Amino acid sequence: MAVAAQAVPRATAVTRPRKEREQELLVWPDLVFIEFIAAVLFTLSFLILSAVVDAPLLNRANLDITPNPSKAAWYLVSLQEMLLHMHPALGGVIAPTFALGGLAALPYIDRKTEGQGAWFATPYAIRITLFSAAFASIFLVGLVLYDQGRHVNVITNIAQRVDADWEWPGKLAPFQNVRAIQTGWEWHIPVPEAAQLGPGEHDGELNWPQDFQNVPMPFNGTSGPDWMRWGAPDFLPGWMQAMYWYDLNMNTPTFVVEQFIPVFIMVALPFLLIYILRRLGWVQDVRGGAIALFTGLMTSYFVLTIIGAAFRGAGQDLVMPWDVPKID
Amino acid sequence: MSVTEQPRGPGIGGWLADKLFRNYIWRSIFRSGYPNTPRNQMLVVATNVFLHLHPTRIHKTHVRITHTYCLGGLTFFFFLSLTVTGVMLMFYYVPSPGQAYTDLQALETNIRFGMLMRNLHRWMAHGMVISVFLHMMRVFYTGAYKPPREFNWVVGVILLTLTLALSFTGYLLPWDQLAIWAVTVGMNMAGTAPILGEDTRLILLGGLEVGDAALIRFYTLHVIGLPLIAAIFMAVHFWRIRRDGGLARPL
Ligand code: HEM
Repeated sequence: MAVAAQAVPRATAVTRPRKEREQELLVWPDLVFIEFIAAVLFTLSFLILSAVVDAPLLNRANLDITPNPSKAAWYLVSLQEMLLHMHPALGGVIAPTFALGGLAALPYIDRKTEGQGAWFATPYAIRITLFSAAFASIFLVGLVLYDQGRHVNVITNIAQRVDADWEWPGKLAPFQNVRAIQTGWEWHIPVPEAAQLGPGEHDGELNWPQDFQNVPMPFNGTSGPDWMRWGAPDFLPGWMQAMYWYDLNMNTPTFVVEQFIPVFIMVALPFLLIYILRRLGWVQDVRGGAIALFTGLMTSYFVLTIIGAAFRGAGQDLVMPWDVPKID
Repeated sequence: MSVTEQPRGPGIGGWLADKLFRNYIWRSIFRSGYPNTPRNQMLVVATNVFLHLHPTRIHKTHVRITHTYCLGGLTFFFFLSLTVTGVMLMFYYVPSPGQAYTDLQALETNIRFGMLMRNLHRWMAHGMVISVFLHMMRVFYTGAYKPPREFNWVVGVILLTLTLALSFTGYLLPWDQLAIWAVTVGMNMAGTAPILGEDTRLILLGGLEVGDAALIRFYTLHVIGLPLIAAIFMAVHFWRIRRDGGLARPL
């Protein structure tokens, strides 16, 4: 089995050919010296930094006064930014868990030993890195701007110069931002009288969003023919009940906005990236793909951190950095 | 370690070296002789508990700064310095909502070098988070996670999480508006996790909102629980670097 073969210690990695001795230096003094200098340099620079810049101390903690905006620590701000665009569990927990899990799994996916021990040692490595960083930054900034919906005001203002009564057409609401799919979008499909789908009055059409807000999940125990109706599974332990969707009816518009579209984007963009890089011929093996995805992840983290830390003002509104209120 | 390997000259330096390094007491502490010969230079690394985290020899490409940018070492340096400054802060800090904030104010105004220690601890904590990220990126782009170093990369990912957790738990301790709201935001995020989220939140906070139970829990995790775990994983990390044959090198 392949797994068993993996577990065998690699003797080659530990015993070294004799002639490599000549390539080696003594740790004392060559390395210890560098470490010493680095430690001194960083001690000094942090001493100077600390003498000049004081750590912040705001007013005493008070849960009755909510600062606006209240932000997470900077290394979590990227997650907080994700919360603005999707379901909180998805943006704050599930997606990051997948990212960390993917990171940890990386060496078990990319097992070729080529290209180790030197910077960007595989073909096209630098190009893949630059392209992926650009790809991720452009899409992220674009998506954040789109979801913020500033373009709606701009376009409306321009259009109203021409036609004072102009309003953003309801049919095109999804182009305002993601949430508008749920709140500002309306359409109907005519439904013949014969097709009575559920209980309730038949008005001859399916309307978005009203008619999609309470769609019973299959086997939720409270919908469908009689044999599909049963009581709440009280006999199960609490955590199992939490997992069973008894009496759950899906709010489809919310689901689309908070879960389906974000997941789709988070899965589709990496695929698109890899696809483009393969068409360009730059990604030829697992390592190339790993570089693309890792770079994309790091860039996303970085860009979202910048946006969340420097561009989110009161009410998590997108503003210029100098307009972010100072809280005390 | 024969005595003839000592630097011996007619000058004052030789005399000093003789006095300092050839006496009984010095030799009882440092077994190897003065490291001015290859043999003693290797012995000094091999016989010293701190230095022996290193091998005695190292490939010359790995000494080049541009290979590692010292980032792993720097992360470790931050960790050690944070321990030192953290212990200093602990002398003055009482983890209770009634006192924590006042202690911080006293630290800034009444206590000699209190502000300096606090600043050092704060900026170095940020420094550690940044350097651990950069270290991970350097390991990635030099392909150093590839066999046989798979597991050490995993240990690294655990260390990354621990570093963030250390920083996060420390964030609450000043007990100011920044602290309590950042932690509230963070814990609400954790609370949304499916199935386990609400329980995790309750266990970490010891209550429904960030209060005295949360402060003592975060404090305990921050000053002893997480540093201990991190130190253990760092020991594994360093041990594995040597077991895996030193740093990665082109085949
Ligand atoms: C507290 C956190 C950490 C500390 C103190 C630390 C320390 C170190 C040190 C001192 C080295 C020696 C080479 C160098 O300085 O670059 C090293 C190498 C390594 N680290 Fe870390 N590290 C940490 C976190 C991480 C993380 C987050 C990862 C990856 C996810 C990682 C993966 C590795 C690997 C695979 C090596 C071997 C590199 C090679 O063979 O070239 N470490 N670490």
